Amino acid sequence: MAALDQKSPNVLLQSLCCRITGKSEADVAHQFQYAVRVIGSNYAPTIERDEFLVSEKIKKELLKQRRDADAALFSELHRKLQTQGVLKHRWSILYLLLSLCEDPRKPSTRVGSYGSVFAQALPRDAHSTPFYYTRPQSLSLSYPERSALAAHNASSMGTSGISSLGMYPLNGPGPGPSPQPLLTGPQAVADPARGTRLAWALPITGAAPLNPRPTTGPTPGPTSSPASRLPHRQRRDGDTSAEISEAALVRDILYVFQGIDGKFIKMCTPENCYKIDSKVPMCKSLRDTSSRLAELGWLHNKVRKYTDSRSLDRAFGLVGQSFCASLHQELKEYYRLLSVLHSQLQLEDDQGVNVELESTLTLRRLLVWTYDPKIRLKTLAALVDYCQGRKGGELASAVHAYGKTGDPHMRALVQHILSLVSHPILNFLYRWIYDGELEDTYHEFFVASDPTVKTDRLWHDKYSLRKSMIPSFITMDQARKVLLIGKSINFLHQVCHDRTPPGKIPPASKSADSPKDAAELFTDLEGAFQSKIDAAYFDTSKYLLDVLNKNYQLLEHLQAMRRYLLLGQGDFIRHLMDLLKPELARAATTLYQHNLTGILETAVRATNAQFDSPDILKRLDVRLLEVSPGDTGWDVFSLDYHVDGPIATVFTRDCMSHYLRVFNFLWRAKRMEYILTDIWKSQMCNAKLLKSMPELSGVLHQCHILASEMVHFIHQMQYYITFEVLECSWDELWNKVQQAQDLDHIIAAHEVFLDTIISRCLLDSNSRSLLNQLRAVFDQIIEFQNAQNALYRSALEELQLRAQYEDTKKRREEEGEWGVTAEQETAENRRVQDFKDTIPKMCSQLRLLTHFYQGIVQEFLRLLMTSSDESLQFLSFRLDFNEHYKARDPRLRPSLGATRGRRSSNI
Amino acid sequence: MASAANTNMNSVRETMDVLYPFVCPSVLLEISRLLNTGLDMESLSICVRLCEQGINPEALSSVIKELRRATDTLKASDNSTSQG
Repeated sequence: MAALDQKSPNVLLQSLCCRITGKSEADVAHQFQYAVRVIGSNYAPTIERDEFLVSEKIKKELLKQRRDADAALFSELHRKLQTQGVLKHRWSILYLLLSLCEDPRKPSTRVGSYGSVFAQALPRDAHSTPFYYTRPQSLSLSYPERSALAAHNASSMGTSGISSLGMYPLNGPGPGPSPQPLLTGPQAVADPARGTRLAWALPITGAAPLNPRPTTGPTPGPTSSPASRLPHRQRRDGDTSAEISEAALVRDILYVFQGIDGKFIKMCTPENCYKIDSKVPMCKSLRDTSSRLAELGWLHNKVRKYTDSRSLDRAFGLVGQSFCASLHQELKEYYRLLSVLHSQLQLEDDQGVNVELESTLTLRRLLVWTYDPKIRLKTLAALVDYCQGRKGGELASAVHAYGKTGDPHMRALVQHILSLVSHPILNFLYRWIYDGELEDTYHEFFVASDPTVKTDRLWHDKYSLRKSMIPSFITMDQARKVLLIGKSINFLHQVCHDRTPPGKIPPASKSADSPKDAAELFTDLEGAFQSKIDAAYFDTSKYLLDVLNKNYQLLEHLQAMRRYLLLGQGDFIRHLMDLLKPELARAATTLYQHNLTGILETAVRATNAQFDSPDILKRLDVRLLEVSPGDTGWDVFSLDYHVDGPIATVFTRDCMSHYLRVFNFLWRAKRMEYILTDIWKSQMCNAKLLKSMPELSGVLHQCHILASEMVHFIHQMQYYITFEVLECSWDELWNKVQQAQDLDHIIAAHEVFLDTIISRCLLDSNSRSLLNQLRAVFDQIIEFQNAQNALYRSALEELQLRAQYEDTKKRREEEGEWGVTAEQETAENRRVQDFKDTIPKMCSQLRLLTHFYQGIVQEFLRLLMTSSDESLQFLSFRLDFNEHYKARDPRLRPSLGATRGRRSSNI
Repeated sequence: MASAANTNMNSVRETMDVLYPFVCPSVLLEISRLLNTGLDMESLSICVRLCEQGINPEALSSVIKELRRATDTLKASDNSTSQG
């Protein structure tokens, strides 16, 4: 078998000739000679020795014939062949088979159509599918063969072997008319393109009718063929010493496009750009053009690097992932373009180089073809730069910012990326506003949740907006609404334990919107998206308010607060005070909560409060504040209202402490009113009794004056607190609550209400000095009560003693004795004298009290004047309606004038 | 002469079988069939041999095509002459 293996090619060739022609060895002598010549002259193959390339071509060929199954079969067979590894020149045999391949659908056409393939070879748009044009199917040896045949078989014309194209049809009909049309028709068109190659392939024949022109004159073969061969060789190999040919550069550039270093154009790392080897000789224009083209490779590398580094980064999040995916999509389009270019180049190699005139790949063509892709890549690179280090909504904002361009192509590109990028955000959003679920593992959505917050603070603290993550195409208002919708749903679920889906809210399946919808929604801000959010907002909030009002009686609780903690229920408060008076007069340390609770219940039962719902009354409780030494019960007593569950969201701990402060203040003011009533009562009762003591009238008159001064003050204060503070604020609150669209509105209105009350009741830090004066006024009132009580006590005692004395005197006289003894009379006179002596003391004490009181009131008025709050200024006018204090205190005048001056200047 | 060629071919085929026991000749034959090259077993084995010896497949393919065409032409002319 070794012998056979070593059999010379000639022998094999001869057998082949015999085999194919089906004749004996002798008969095939001509053919054999011809074959030996051809083979001998073309020993070195002109194609690349690449098995893979050849196999790929075969596959392509099969695909082109729409035989996909066969292509698969071929790959399988080829793989088998490779594994066996017996053949050394697999590519060679494969190539041979490929060359001999014929499309079974058009068996008779042995001629490939060259046509003007390059004229429309590359479609402008890189998006469209690559355009593969038909390969030449056969590399036929038409001319020499024809001439040989003519010489050998027919020999009718006796051609010299230099038959021209133009002549051939003429001498055709001679030997055989029937096959002629088959050969001449299409070939006449195609031949010009093929001629040069043929000349190169068959130099020995010397018969080189290369000229496309139908010249009849014999052209000297040896001179023309080397001339045509030389440039091609240079062109193909590019390794000549002189200059690099353009073709070599094109090949290089195509590699560079993919970010692979070429032979001459290499990545220069320190400068981060592609550079052409400066040692390589090259003309300047080529150098310029290729460096311009190399930019594409640089841009590609940049985008590629970003996607490569990011796509593995799991923490980059869904938005980032879809950004990378969109970049990949764009890159894929780019690769498609490259593959078209490559196949073009490949084709040129296949065909040889004879088509250079209009159809080869030149740098200039590349420059034109890659113009659009370059702009796209530039945008992508800029986008990648801009998006560096951003994620989630921030990333979407960044992309969106790039969509604001006047170039419609760029805008379409960015819009497309944006739609992909915003799709996950939209999904988050729908999950959130329809289900209230937050599936944001990578913190990309603009709603953040704090898992450490307990349910009682869910509404206030659990969810918040991540400002940086709000995409720029979503307004702040929308973002807030989105936050509120989801929060409401969660609130309903977790706090109200209400799992029934609100009727009108669309089902969550809507969230399966495609990216396209996402883009439409986000760009059409005025329309669908806005209305969708608005609808969800409206429905959810309304449902939540309904639940709170119906199931949890939010409004009733609000009213109860006002009635009990803000002393709105007058009869109840009065009665409670009546009942509590003896208890609270004691020291604070001796009070017991259970006693007070009992009293509270009694008060409730005795008044209209009993008609309130038991749920509210159950929450009402007594609370004792912290006791400091010397406090009486009045100082530490306080009512309390228990809140829990959903309504605690409105009545927070802060709110309740505000309520308690206000209650404390109101309770104090109420007590003053109560005390003054007592004072007035005792004055009325005692006035008649003490008429008999004219010496007291001066003191009593003083008392009356002071008391009415105080009554006036307290009445005005009460009026101010009740009507100007409580009622006005309450009315505002009630209106707002009625109009509220969501829970936040109610909470805000309630807070405003409390703040207003606190500041108007002088409880905030700004009016501390005012409050101190008011406290002092209250203290004076209490002191006055004590003083007056002492006065009445001693006066009544004296009165009783005098009455006793008179009685004894009368009784004695009736008995017929001396009414009084001298000693008794002197003792009585001394006692009366003593009592009279105490009167000036009382007078001075009262005067002192009055003086202090008036001083405090004047100071209070002065502070009121200077305060910025209008209602407080009005209060000062009301308190000093007849300018009584103003007349007494010169300090009030200038300040008043100053205020007036300021006011007029303001106007 | 024909018989000599036949024996030659037979020997070639045998050697093919002996020489390439693992290349199930059908593999290449199958590919050839897929591509519709029109080569039969003998021709194929000769071609494989030639290729293995480093013959330029390009040239070989042109030779084969030319040979075929020549045969076609001949046959056609034979037919026409016989008819004519």
